[in-house]
Amino acid sequence: MLNSQLLGELERIVGRDGLITSPEGRLTYECDMHTFYKGQPDAVVLPASREHVVEIVRACRQARVPIVPRGSGTGLIGGAMAPRGGVMVGMNRMNRILDVDLANRCATVEPGLINLWLSRAVAGRGWFFAPDPSSQMVSSIGGNVSTNAGGPHCLKYGITTNHVLGLEIVTGHGTLVTLGGKVWDRPGYDLVGTAVGAEGTFGLVTAVTVRLVHLPDAVKTVLALFSDIESASEAVSAIIADGIVPAALEMLDDVVIKAIEEGIGAGYPKDAGAVLLIELDGPRAEVEVQAERVAALCRARQALDVRVARDETERALLWKGRKEAAGAIGRVAPNFLLQDAVVPRSKLPDIMRAMRGISERHGVIFANVFHAGDGNLHPLICYDDQNPGELERAVAANEELLHACIALGGSVTGEHGVGVDKATKLPLQYGDADLNFMFRLRRVFDPDGVMNPGKILPSHPACGEGFRPERPALPAGTWV
Amino acid sequence: MTRVAGSTRAVGSALAALLGTDALVEDAGVLARFAVDGCTPRWLARPSTVDAVARVMALATDEGLAVVPRGSGSTLALGAPPARLDLVLDMSRLDRVLEWNPDDLTVTVEAGVALGALAKRLGPRRQFLPLDPPAADTRTLGGLTATNASGALRVRYGALRDLLLGVRFVQPDGVVTWGGAKVVKSVSGYDVPKLMVGALGTLGVLCELTLRLHPVPDVERTWLVTFVAAEHAQGFLAAILDSALQPSRVEWLNRAALARTGSPSAAAALAVSIGSVEAAVAAQGAIIGGLAAREHGQVMEAPVGWWDAYAQRLGAAPVVLRVATLASHVAGTVTDVERRLHGACVSGCAAVGSLDVSVAAGEADVRRAVDGLRAHLRPIGGHVVVTRAPVTLRQSIDPWGPVDDGAVGLMRAILSEFDPRRVLNPGRFVGGL
Repeated sequence: MLNSQLLGELERIVGRDGLITSPEGRLTYECDMHTFYKGQPDAVVLPASREHVVEIVRACRQARVPIVPRGSGTGLIGGAMAPRGGVMVGMNRMNRILDVDLANRCATVEPGLINLWLSRAVAGRGWFFAPDPSSQMVSSIGGNVSTNAGGPHCLKYGITTNHVLGLEIVTGHGTLVTLGGKVWDRPGYDLVGTAVGAEGTFGLVTAVTVRLVHLPDAVKTVLALFSDIESASEAVSAIIADGIVPAALEMLDDVVIKAIEEGIGAGYPKDAGAVLLIELDGPRAEVEVQAERVAALCRARQALDVRVARDETERALLWKGRKEAAGAIGRVAPNFLLQDAVVPRSKLPDIMRAMRGISERHGVIFANVFHAGDGNLHPLICYDDQNPGELERAVAANEELLHACIALGGSVTGEHGVGVDKATKLPLQYGDADLNFMFRLRRVFDPDGVMNPGKILPSHPACGEGFRPERPALPAGTWV
Repeated sequence: MTRVAGSTRAVGSALAALLGTDALVEDAGVLARFAVDGCTPRWLARPSTVDAVARVMALATDEGLAVVPRGSGSTLALGAPPARLDLVLDMSRLDRVLEWNPDDLTVTVEAGVALGALAKRLGPRRQFLPLDPPAADTRTLGGLTATNASGALRVRYGALRDLLLGVRFVQPDGVVTWGGAKVVKSVSGYDVPKLMVGALGTLGVLCELTLRLHPVPDVERTWLVTFVAAEHAQGFLAAILDSALQPSRVEWLNRAALARTGSPSAAAALAVSIGSVEAAVAAQGAIIGGLAAREHGQVMEAPVGWWDAYAQRLGAAPVVLRVATLASHVAGTVTDVERRLHGACVSGCAAVGSLDVSVAAGEADVRRAVDGLRAHLRPIGGHVVVTRAPVTLRQSIDPWGPVDDGAVGLMRAILSEFDPRRVLNPGRFVGGL
């Protein structure tokens, strides 16, 4: 519970309508889309300006109370939730587009702005914001920045960090700092690149300058049908190995196809064992040639059929199916775990074979819909929490799959982030020295450990939070 | 680690014991050739393994030695002269390509691998690391990363921050550390590789790098478009950026830069490359012609080898500046440079506002010009970094220029966290770090 002095201070900062303390009001904020992890904040504040954010951080820091940022709450990692209580800072009221500068191909926005709204605001003039997480119609750009979000078209265009030029953040010291900006190059450490993906543990983002990208001349969407997921995986590896980097290269397996078709009906053939959704964009002549090469490569890998979306309506429908796939899985099973591990893309056939074995051993269904082009898996591991033992089997299968991905040289998370979900998994990928480096980096931005504690880094049994520092902490404020 | 007495002799023996005598140079004649800004080191270490680098750094921290890591030695004049120097760490023996996965478009190299050598390895598979800073063939990947070198190709492929996926480095105290991943997509933990790019080796000695590769386009052609006035070149640049063209290079050249590359004389020019399948290159070339005509530009196709000449444009100029401006302000910035530094060769990545200025001018003139340019660029957030200049000039001017207080405070705090004894490159980095 927060003391009344802090609550009074928070109310003074954001006003009565910007402070939520009732149990039913706070319930909404107890988890992100990974509903497995729950933790209610003691209070939720809704700042309307950077000045509010500075004051909130200072007040919480003084009271040594955890600060947890939240955008739209669409994360998948146990990120925008408060495992240790404290104050949640909802950024939704800070959702303005502050500046659009097409001559310099960038825009500056507040963190609560919905991803798709930015693209909509500039589409008429021929531009878009490239990072396109499937949640883009609801997720906020601040959340995208915090998790370094990806999306289908990141294969060609890069993930969020490749599109952030500048950040304004309030660090754990309660200091407003401007990092980077419209000018691409600047002397010193790349603090923008370092802070993107820090999940609120370095500070709260109050403004973001992002790159905008010109819409392509032409877009072609190809659907390739395969009898099974292994041969589709072979085709993915063949396309990349041939030197073609499509805008997007997505895989859907039979379980997902069926679920989508029984739901919104996106036009995927129900009897296919797997489909590849391949999008090529760019200059028209390039798109034409690459589409033919891709089709030939798929046929050489035993594709049953290769189709091209005839018009924008058909293309949009194929994508709608893809982006709502996770929701459609509700038809298959009431609950699922979602994995976000990565393998080198040449190892896709290996991991798919391994997955079949894991599925059989644990008696669980994997539904696959993922960013095949960059080896970023998203198996939905289905279970029914009403049936005793199913959850445990799903957890065990998930764990085994994660280890298999790492054994192939992969990563524990490709685009969703770490949160509390993957914090304990980082040691699979990093040694103590590597984690210690990260811990010390975090402490520079947050010496008191108030910024989103419990997220990203695993706890060390010896000292509770993070790895034991090698040297005593610097006195607070030595550099401010 | 057992402490050794701090005398040159005792430390030298300890280094020899760690490295073996063939990897440690104490000969005064050789050491003089490895001087940095006139400071001659007491030792030159030439490790050939990461472990040896780690042992040297652990000893350096224990003894409070000042260490300057060195790749090919081409860019040691970047930054302020070192505050102290005891040991130069020559990384050129770590020169193995460790793991090339052509089907994944990734490669892991040791930091001493030269860019040109890597290109030769990758070429037969029609893959490349799209990085083309001026005259960089013999530069090492560690050096290129530490200095965040970039060239024309960044407009399409990004800079090193976008290409570096993973990094193994040795912290100042000798701890071998890994950051990032070997796959093309990973957000596990903090993005440590980003922190190491352009850090001038102040946070760790770069030892191994995992890099993203790209396929070589089927065909690449370059059009050189010359203009009678910089304003027209600016108009053409804006039109290129506000189009669906996918250029791989959009470089600005002023009159001196055109002369340096043996190109036709004009007030300003843009060199635009398109790399794609043949039909798409031709189609985009036609669009470039149309956009050029609107600004009264003269279009010619650049001859084969033109980019090689362009790569040598900075030559042996005594002073080189890297100017960061906005894409919308390139013409104004170039004109301002020309006004302050008569005869300066100005060229660079116009699409992102990154310009290289090379000039032979007196120190007082350069100092005045840099001060003036910095003031001119401050309102738009631009910067001027002195990337090459005589020592005396770099002693009398901050080669990095001012950095925002908040940002530099964080940089100082990061450095104090990881290198409290200032072992790596003391005094050379921004803000006197």
